Amino acid sequence: MRLLSLSIGLVMLGLAAAPTRLTAQESSGEAIFQQKCSACHLTGSDRLVGPGLAGVTTRRDPAWLKRFIMQPDQVLASGDSIANALLLEYQVPMPNIGTTDAEAEALIAFLSGAEAAGESGAQQVAVAPATEEQIVLGQNLFQGTTRFSNNGPTCNSCHEVTNDAVIGGGILARELTTVFSRLGGPGVRAILGSPPFPVMQRAYQGTPLTDEEVVALVAFLERADAEQALHQPRDYGIKLFGAGVVGVLILLGLYSLLWRGRLRGSVNQAIYDRQISST
Amino acid sequence: MDVRSQISMVFHLDKCIGCHTCSIACKNIWTDRKGAEYMWWNNVETKPGTGYPGKWENQDIYQGGWQKNGKGIELKGAGKPKSLTNIFHNPNMPVIDDYYEPFTYKYLDLIESPPGDDQPTARPISMITGEPMDIKMGPNWDDDLSGSPDYARNDPNLANLTPAEREAMFQLERMAFFYLPRICNHCLNPACVASCPSGAIYKRGEDGIVLINQSVCRGWRMCVTACPYKKTYYNWSTGKSEKCILCFPRIESGQAPACMHSCVGRIRYLGVMLYDADGIEAVASADDADVVDRQMDMILDPFDPEVIASAKANGLADSTIAAAQASPAYKFVKVWDLALPLHPEYRTLPMLFYVPPLLPVVASVTEVDNEEQAKKMNPVGKVWPDSWLYDTTTKELFGTIDDARFPLKYMANLFSAGDTTQVSDRLKKLMAVRLHRRQITVGDLAESTVKEALADTGLTPQTADDIYYLTSLAKFDDRFVIPAAHREQAIEMMEFTGDVRGSTGFGFENDTAKRGA
Repeated sequence: MRLLSLSIGLVMLGLAAAPTRLTAQESSGEAIFQQKCSACHLTGSDRLVGPGLAGVTTRRDPAWLKRFIMQPDQVLASGDSIANALLLEYQVPMPNIGTTDAEAEALIAFLSGAEAAGESGAQQVAVAPATEEQIVLGQNLFQGTTRFSNNGPTCNSCHEVTNDAVIGGGILARELTTVFSRLGGPGVRAILGSPPFPVMQRAYQGTPLTDEEVVALVAFLERADAEQALHQPRDYGIKLFGAGVVGVLILLGLYSLLWRGRLRGSVNQAIYDRQISST
Repeated sequence: MDVRSQISMVFHLDKCIGCHTCSIACKNIWTDRKGAEYMWWNNVETKPGTGYPGKWENQDIYQGGWQKNGKGIELKGAGKPKSLTNIFHNPNMPVIDDYYEPFTYKYLDLIESPPGDDQPTARPISMITGEPMDIKMGPNWDDDLSGSPDYARNDPNLANLTPAEREAMFQLERMAFFYLPRICNHCLNPACVASCPSGAIYKRGEDGIVLINQSVCRGWRMCVTACPYKKTYYNWSTGKSEKCILCFPRIESGQAPACMHSCVGRIRYLGVMLYDADGIEAVASADDADVVDRQMDMILDPFDPEVIASAKANGLADSTIAAAQASPAYKFVKVWDLALPLHPEYRTLPMLFYVPPLLPVVASVTEVDNEEQAKKMNPVGKVWPDSWLYDTTTKELFGTIDDARFPLKYMANLFSAGDTTQVSDRLKKLMAVRLHRRQITVGDLAESTVKEALADTGLTPQTADDIYYLTSLAKFDDRFVIPAAHREQAIEMMEFTGDVRGSTGFGFENDTAKRGA
């Protein structure tokens, strides 16, 4: 017991310490950008999930920018007109990923520097069309019949996809049937490569997906999105419940047959039955 | 020859007065705890009766003990395949109502009730639920033949008796009973050990005491089913099974177990016996008719030089061998052939032996003329108008034994797997000793009669006097010959004792043992 609580304590200490343990290299604006922003944003002007960030430091008021980087959910909730216009355009609200004050400063410095350097930010990778094997692998990875090589948790423990091949995904996170058309291939790929969402980040901390796995999953999600109209997983409704009841009855019958010689009640029952009760 | 030592017990049933002091001593020391309220590691039963738990001797109900199969023996209700298929539902388990629902009384109501018109009463409350309850059963509910139609007449040992024999037992004025105190038999072939899926039960190498390791027990309760004497109990609070530990902390410090120490009738004897462990399987697989004799043959003569050499080769201490030579159990069981194991047909080779009771067998009730006697009484004295004499004298030598009001068959069902000659042999010896002593102290018997009786049973006057001494006059140290435990050697094998020199507390390897879960 003492050992258990000690190990829990150590793990919690490790989790608490992890975000603060940034080396100078990691805390540079570029590293933070790669880690936290590049899933959805390019430094050029091309759109990924969110808008390209070329010229953002001149386009927006620096104070607003810093606040939006740190607390986009609060800015949005405050009814800010720019934020709402962006949401309308890009559909996906920017998540609060817990950027600290210092990190935001570094990011803004990096973004204005990138501008000055005139970087194109064209990081789009040419992707070859997925093979059938990759799609099948992605499907297996998604529902956990094949484990991730780094032993990360299976997708369908939290996510659901409407697909005949996938049985019953989780409802803890967003339903992913149309994720490909919502975020596009680069967006999905970027999220899987380095998840920007805190819960997902925590879930895959230390167990990241490999590049092949990301490609396979994206291929599967693309296929699932494209063919969603053709897939209609069966809904058994009341029949499933009925089958459960019948199964229980069969098992009970089997047990009462198997243990038909069991002791029933007490050997003294006849004596007890004759005794007078005071109540 | 694989010589081992076993702490063995002899209960002299002629001396038991059924006072339950042993049960109370045990209860106060060991089972006065939450979850153990219903347990009586030591209990005293009236025979004929159904006992505790009800009908425990009926193995068609409880499936305890061993049974013969083609090759050897197997557990009746447990064992590998049966335990595996029944591991989540053991179908032959006694329920709490087979024992009894433990109860106490709300004594505080007697002194804390507000003033009122009626006397306050102490209501019975369940020790399991804490709610008021109706007491329906107790651990000695059939004491002294109370409720005979329900209990005595349902005794499983009446199974092979003819209806006429049974009726004769329950005739008014002819009714007889005796007491049967029971503890764990610390068997040589324990069914509880064999049945345990966790391997938690073990028979101690040094003295043969059977124990349940509370750290290993997982509460499967296969031992509760397997023990034919129903002497392992499940503690509902700790979730583990428990049983008589033969007061091993007392034994190790040279004291007699609590039940034996407190015995008012001094019926209990305890001592070491040496036995040949090589023979256990063959003896346990013997035919019903042979199992008693072959168990007796397993017990070795501690004076035999060959036995002593083998014992020493097995690591038995000299003090243990000396204790075996002085053992009262060895004398009763082997030297004098007076004691028998309880239900040897269960094939667990129990090492608790009973000297069968002579009294209910030979005593009879006859009609006499009491008038002359009544005239001598003081006028204010109470005179009973009946003229019955409870007569324990006998005119014939052994006639009354075979022709007793207590059928020998019944005794044989209890102590010798139905073999009446085993029981009558021992009763005749007891009777011969009694005749011999009567000739010495009263002198109203012909010398030839006594000689004939002794010769018939193969006893010499000297042996008869020895039996008389150990039965009636034995001192504490004659009744309990407890070998040194040599714990210091066991401890030194496990750790260096210098490490804890100057420290306090008992126990080694682990910390001091804690009571409870």
